[in-house]
This record gives sequence, structure tokens and C-alpha cells, in this order.
Amino acid sequence: MIASQVNRRRALALTAAVFAGALGLSGAARAADDNVFKIWWYETPESSQATAWNKALDTFKAKHPDVKIEFEQKSWDQIEKAGALMLNSGDVPDILEYNKGNAFAGLVASQGLLTDLTGEATKRGWDKLLSPSELALSRYDDRGIFGSGPIWGIPNYGEFVTVYYNKDMFAANGLQVPTTYDEFKKVMDAFVAKGITPIAEAAGDYPVVHLMGELELSQVNQQWVQDYQGLKKPFDGKPFLYAAQQMKEWMDKGYITKDVTGLKAPDMAQLFESQKSPMVITGTWYVGEFVKKNQFKWGQFLFPGNTISQASTGNLWVVPKDSKHKDWAAEFIDITMSKDNQAILGNAGAVPVAADPAAITDPVAQMMIQGFNTLKDRDGLGFYPDWPTAGYYEVLLHSSQSLLSGQMTPDQFVEALRKPYDDAQAGAN
Amino acid sequence: MSAGEFSGALPARASAGRSREASFDTGVSRYFVLALLIVGAVLTLFPFVLAAINAIKSPQDYGANGPVALPRSFDLTALVTFWNEVRFGEKLWNSFLISGCVAFFGVTISLFNAYAIGIGRVRGRGLVLIAYLFGIMVPQEALVYPIYYLAKTVGLYDTKTSVIVVFSVLQGAFGTYLLSAVLTAFPREIVDSAHIDGASRWQVLWHIVIPMLRPTLSVLAVFFFIWTWNEFLLPLVLLISNDNQNVSIALGSLHGQYTSAPTTSAAAALLGIIPTVIFFLVFQRTLMRGVTVGAIK
Amino acid sequence: MASSSERSAGGASAAGYYVYLIPGAIGFIAIVLVPFVMNTAASFTRWNGIARPRFIGFENYIRLFNDGTFWEAIEHALASVIAMSIIPLLIGLVLAAVLFDYISSRFGPRASSILRAAYYLPQILPVAVAGILWGWILNPIGVLDALFDMIGLHWLALNWIGDPTLALVSLMGVMVWLQVGYALVVFMSGLARVDPALYEAAEIDGAGWFTRFLNITVPMLKPEIFVVGLTTTIAALKVFAPVFVLTGGGPGTATTVPSYLAYYHFFTTNRVGYGAAISSIQLLVTVALGLLFLRVQTRQTEEAQ
Repeated sequence: MIASQVNRRRALALTAAVFAGALGLSGAARAADDNVFKIWWYETPESSQATAWNKALDTFKAKHPDVKIEFEQKSWDQIEKAGALMLNSGDVPDILEYNKGNAFAGLVASQGLLTDLTGEATKRGWDKLLSPSELALSRYDDRGIFGSGPIWGIPNYGEFVTVYYNKDMFAANGLQVPTTYDEFKKVMDAFVAKGITPIAEAAGDYPVVHLMGELELSQVNQQWVQDYQGLKKPFDGKPFLYAAQQMKEWMDKGYITKDVTGLKAPDMAQLFESQKSPMVITGTWYVGEFVKKNQFKWGQFLFPGNTISQASTGNLWVVPKDSKHKDWAAEFIDITMSKDNQAILGNAGAVPVAADPAAITDPVAQMMIQGFNTLKDRDGLGFYPDWPTAGYYEVLLHSSQSLLSGQMTPDQFVEALRKPYDDAQAGAN
Repeated sequence: MSAGEFSGALPARASAGRSREASFDTGVSRYFVLALLIVGAVLTLFPFVLAAINAIKSPQDYGANGPVALPRSFDLTALVTFWNEVRFGEKLWNSFLISGCVAFFGVTISLFNAYAIGIGRVRGRGLVLIAYLFGIMVPQEALVYPIYYLAKTVGLYDTKTSVIVVFSVLQGAFGTYLLSAVLTAFPREIVDSAHIDGASRWQVLWHIVIPMLRPTLSVLAVFFFIWTWNEFLLPLVLLISNDNQNVSIALGSLHGQYTSAPTTSAAAALLGIIPTVIFFLVFQRTLMRGVTVGAIK
Repeated sequence: MASSSERSAGGASAAGYYVYLIPGAIGFIAIVLVPFVMNTAASFTRWNGIARPRFIGFENYIRLFNDGTFWEAIEHALASVIAMSIIPLLIGLVLAAVLFDYISSRFGPRASSILRAAYYLPQILPVAVAGILWGWILNPIGVLDALFDMIGLHWLALNWIGDPTLALVSLMGVMVWLQVGYALVVFMSGLARVDPALYEAAEIDGAGWFTRFLNITVPMLKPEIFVVGLTTTIAALKVFAPVFVLTGGGPGTATTVPSYLAYYHFFTTNRVGYGAAISSIQLLVTVALGLLFLRVQTRQTEEAQ
């Protein structure tokens, strides 16, 4: 007993020493900040953005060989939940990727946590590379609402929602890509007749909101979008009523399965990838996965009948107020906006905002860039329906779920959407 | 009260088992019960099986055949890439360090509190117990913003120490409650006779209470380790620098705004739980060498 | 048993034990008390988490009272108590007794140890991953429905996660899966305290397994039963992670629970004051139930003495 007691005590002491030592080490001095460039982003390591941005870091390193680059891989969760807290803490990087929109970039901009980039943008010509509509998400006023005000962040890629389709399945059933909404319905009817669910869909999380968004945007013009996003007028339920009625019709006709409320985005993608459904309505973020997983010929067409689709510029490079190297940050942004880097970005599968079309050689990339440019050229960037006020996404999602599970009628759906919007609208005006 | 009595308890149990078997073997029925339990265990472990088969699939295999199909491929590249990109080894070490410290300090706090409450019978112990119970009742989301501001103020923001302190206290609240219940039922005669022999409060704690409480303390340590290992929200907010983050935050990096990599998640998760499984199995052995309080005749 | 005001013989006064309370007290004040006060204060403000809070009195609470989703959340919290407390406690108790009293003696402690580890494993899995895995099982194109179809029980191949009523049932099922292991381990560790001679004697006297269960196991495990009962009830009222990863509170609001609602307002709508109010009310309900529980427990222990 004595021996084991001594041993136990020794073990405890040793363990305590190890822990104390490790804790001490972990709190040890970080490198002095003078020659360190700290950069954070949260696109996943295999993403096209990461590919291009890592190359941009190489370019930067070549220009500043004696600078130590400290990159940290962050996660979407961290930025979403703790982004504002991080920027508020004083322990900030020199530059980081940040979410666009009122609830994110808008919030921290209005709290004075970011550096105003308007001057740099003019000096380096970023405001020429990006059209006014592309810069809309870079500007936030003092209430944190996008569309006007100083430039707080710079995007270098775009995104949009589209209809991906299985070319092999279309060909096997003798069908052409539809160009109008009626043709679209006929194509879907044809698949239903053959016992195939035409659209892979999921209402367990975000995809159903995008479906609703496309249907709703088919009924509006760009002015309506500006008013809606800017909380300029009380809620206009008409486009949403149409969208709700269409979604019900889609379910009744078998265009989407009756149990969509039980499926999430990965399930939906898997239905498309396994060729159970010939079409899926989702965004550019899935291209990388489709390129890897699809074992059939596939393509995309914009939502038939819509002039405007859900589309916007991507996440922003922002420079925290307390960034120690704002000049390097601006230089890095410049590199990512350069023709070379934009071409790398495009060929890796993302949609660049300032690339030279001739430099894009990858066929999938060409297809996606063409889609985005088509939208851009017809002033069809419709943003996303959940942006007007923080938390609106949940309202849209839950209401869509209730609609599709039969617990809400289209009219009730519209009413569920109205109240939070009007609350925010009243608060902002 | 001596070591002899404790070690005496062990052989007694073993022989008791044998004599019971000899007298009361009921043949078939025991296999039936065992089979039932094994079926239950298999059903309980089924999600893990799913994780295992998907951890090794190639993306094409998963895309074509879905998560339920047996793997037709063997592809660990996504996992290896993930490990390197997020420096998973570092995160494993951080998780181990944080969870280990919390297990240790949490058990210590619980023990000290329960000692004062259950054996010391201090005045106002009911109130103390209620206070700690209160500590268990507070939802974590309510603590995030205040703790963020407090950590920032004392300069502990973005340190492992802040997370260790927070969870040692939070888990300690639970441990206090559990151990108080057990120590209140502790036989007073042992403590009293030790005091008569001249033992101090500390000596009683160290030489008598702790050895007898070993199985319960082990359970507590295991719980604290595992619960802290999987904590997500508070570490996410308090640990910013990558070299401070833990496994559950690293797993979160697989989940983007719109996409997630389910097969890599499954694989990474299996990796992440291996240390906790080992920790649990190691401490299971201690639990099995249980000491019976009833050895005092 | 000794009365509460007794001092131990030998001069070790009760007062000297106060020292042991100090470390815990410091931690408690810093990590629980002060933040709690801050949270309560926040519930009377309009605040987005970084700007200056603006005092608005009881406005958040009035709004909460009229918020239908909040009351639904409370309902679902009570359902969680059944799924995370009552059922796992009962199953855990029986399982612990069977493993300890029956399997251990007939097949050896190794077998009982392995089985216990198996039932405990769900507690070890990170909840985010458990969500993915259960999604694979419960979604309409998943394992469960495929199984039902295969064995011909098509009517059971339902939308387990997507149907508003079934979603709650499925969630409760996952909660049981998660919690049984915890109850089991606590009870088995408590049983390690029990002198096996008691069981031997009872078996010699001809008592069957169930009789032994009722007359030995349950009374001996009283402290553990109370602890498991109370802590699982509290955990059920606080539950967040399984809801978040499995159903996101949906479909609609069919599985929304108070913690989820609070989280939504803390981090998504950035209405921190409103979230703080939700947490405060949630805490109140939990405290009320907890005190009730404690009263029953104290009365029971007093009666036993």
C-alpha cells in the first residue's frame, strides 16, 4: 500500500508537471508582430478559392522574402458565431475573409471594427474592376445595411444559383434544355411520366430556400430587389405567394419528392450524383464536388423564365481596424484581383469577378463563368431572400418546411414571412 | 481499517461468483439474456458501423452508391489531407491537454466541495449545494457573451487556460452534486475513528476517503474528460488561434456555409474519438477493481 | 445516521472544513455567478453583442410571453425530459442490474465490461457527427426506411425526420440512445459499492432476479438514482446539440427547444437581450423543477433515516 501510494503520488506530480509545462509552453511568447503578415480564411483547403489564394500568398512571399506569413485556417462556424467577437477582441489578423451581408460585414463595419477601403479601392482601381452592382455588397452605411456607404471589403469571386442537369439522362429521354418556365414544367412532367423524380431537393436545410428564392425572383424586377434588400418598403407578399403556390404544385405533381423535409443538402447532392434525379437546383459551391463525383456528363442552365436569379459576389476580404499591416493587406487584395490570380481562381472552379475570359481554359469553369456573366450583363444579380434582416433565413426555412409538410397554406406562409420583415423594416426607417 | 481488508474483499467476490454459478446455473436462459444484450449493443453501435464504412469510401463511391452501401473502394486521401491541413495532431494534443486538465481540476474541486458538504457537514451546506446545482442549470449559451468579456478583461482570451478554468468549474458543479450525495452516505464511524486516532481532515481525505471513492472518482474523471473533449460552443468562442483549438472545432472546419464533407467528417470523427475510447477503456479497469464499502464489518 | 449539527469527535470541527470550499467558490463566482448576473442584466436591454446595450425594461419578457414559438419550445423541453431522463434512467437501472448481478457472475466481469462500453459509446461520439450518422439512418433515403422496405414493412418507411410529428419521436429516440450509457455507467459504479454478499444471501434465500433488483439494487442505488434523475432532467431542459444537428428545430418549429431558440437569438438574429431573456426564463423553469426534485429527495433520505 505504501509503495503504491508513493507511486501514485509520483504519477500525480509528474502529470501535474507535464500539464503545467505544456500550459506554460502554450502561453509562450508569439513572434514579434513587426515582420509577420497574419491572414485568415475559412474556405475549405480543397476549395478553388484556397487554391488561388495559396498561389497569391506565394506571389506575396516572392515580393517580401523576409516577411513571415502566418496563415490560419478558420471554419465557417467560427466566423458565423464568433466573427464579431474576434474582431472586437483586439487580437486580429492583418486581413481576413469575412461573410458578406448586413448581419456580418454590415454589423462589424457599423461597429467601427473594419478599415475603410474606399481610398485604396480608388487608388488601386478595384472600383473599376468591379461593377457598381458587384460593389453593392462591399458598401455598408452606418446602420450596417448594404448598398451604400464606404467600401469595407473586396470580393474576388462570385456565386449564383442555377439548375445543374444530367446530360446523359436528358439525352436518354430525348429531352432538350428548357428555355421557358412552361418548357421546364414539360421536361419535369416527362421525367415524372417515366417514374423519375426530376428535381433532387432538400427541405431539411437551405436548398428549399433557394428553390423558393428562384420562384419568387421570377416575379420581380431589379428595382423590387433593391427595395426588398434595403428594407425600403413594407413586405410585398405577392411574389412569395406565387412561390409558395408553385412549391406546393411541384410537390403535388411529383417534381420533388413528398419527403423532402427529411432530406438535407448532402442527401440532395447524393441523389443527383447517383443519377436518381436528373436535376438539382443549387449554387456554384457544389461545382467542385460535382467535378469530383459525377460519373456522367452534366451541365447547368439558369432557372428558366427568370431574368433575375439568386446571385451575388462572394465573401469579402476585410482589413480589421487594428490590422498592423494595412499596406500588405491592400497589396494582397491586389494580387488576388490580378489577372493572373483571377485566371487561377477561374480554372480551379470558382467564378472570378475580374478574369480575362480568354485565360480560362477549363470547360467547366468556362460554363460557370458564362452563367454568372449572363446574369451580370442583364442586371440579374438578385442576392438572396434571407438577407434583409438577421435571422430571416430561419424564418424562410421553417416556413417552407411547414408549407411542404402541409402545416401551412400559401397564405399563412406569406403571413409568417411578413411579420419579421415588417418589424425589421419599421426598425430601420 | 487496513489494506488487508480491501485486498481481502477481492478474492471473496471471485469465490462468491464461483459458488453462485455452481449452485444456480440456469442453463439456456442466461444465453438468451446475453443474446438480447448483444443485439442491443449492436443496435447501439450501428451508427458507428456507418461511420466506419463511410470513412474509407472514395468520393465517387459515396456519390454513386450513397452512405448506406458497403464500401467498394478504399480511399483515405481526403482524411490524410484533412489531417495535414488542419494540423489534426496539434488539435488532438490540445484536446487531450484541456480535457485532461479539466478532468483533474474538476474532480479536485468536486472532491473538496463534497468533502466539506458530505463529511464536514458545514453549516449552510444546503445552500452551497443549491448554488452548485444552479451552476449545472445555467444554459451555456447564456454564459458565452459574459465569459467572453470577462476573459478579455483578464487577458485570458484565446488561451487554453480560460477554457480549462471554465470547464473545470462547470463540470465541477456536476461533480460536487454527485459526490455530495455519495459522501453524505459515507459511513461516519470510519471518519470518527480516524479523528480519534489523531488524523487531520486532510489525512482523512487523502488516506481514507479517496481510496474508497476511487471507482466514483474514476467515473467522474472519465465523464469530465469526455464531456470536455466534445465541447464546441465555448471553445469556439474562446479559442481563436489555431494552435489553441481542439478536435471538435477542427471537425467543424469540414462544414462550410453550404457544403459539408460527410465521409471526411465520419472519418475524422472516428479518429477524434479514439483517445476518448482509450481513456474510457483504461479507466474501466479501475472501475472493475472496485472497492466495496461494505467490507467494514 | 448522524444528525446534521453533530461535530465529529476528536475536535475536527465543522468550521475547519470551510477551507475546502474556497477553490470551488472562487471558480463558481467567476464563471457562474458573475456571468449569470451579466446575463440577467442583458435580458433587460436591447443589445447586439458588441455595441452599447440599451436599457428597455421588461420589453423582452413581454415579447417572449406572446411568442408562440417559445411556448412550443417549452412543450418540447418537457418531451425531452421524458426522452433524456425518465426512459434512460429506467433502462440504465435495469441494464446496470442485469450486467452487474447476472452477466457478471455468469459470464465474467469482462463480458459485462464490454457490454457496458458498447452502451456508453454514444456518449463519446461528437454530437455533430452523430447528427450526420443519424441523418443517414433516419432520412427518407436512409437505412431505416431501406430496411423496412426490404423486409416488407413499407408502411413503416416514413419520413422520420421530415414529418412534424415523427421528427419529435425520432429526436426522442436519439436522445435515449445518447443518454442510456451515462445512466448505466453511473449506476454500475454505484453498484461497485454494494457488497455482493447481499446478493448471494438473497439468492440463497430463493429470491429471483427481479426481487433482488427491487429489494437490493434500487434501495442501494438511491443516491445515484437521484443524481441521475436530477442531472438528466436538467440536461433535458437545457438540450441543444442533438436538436441543432438533427432537425435544426424543424420541420417548421416541430422540434424547437428553448436552448435552440436562445442560441438563434444570441448568434443569428444578434438580439442578445432577447436571447438572455429566454435563457433566464429557461433557468427559472429548471430551478423550479430542480428544487421540487430536491425536496422529494431530501424527504426520502430523511425518511430513510
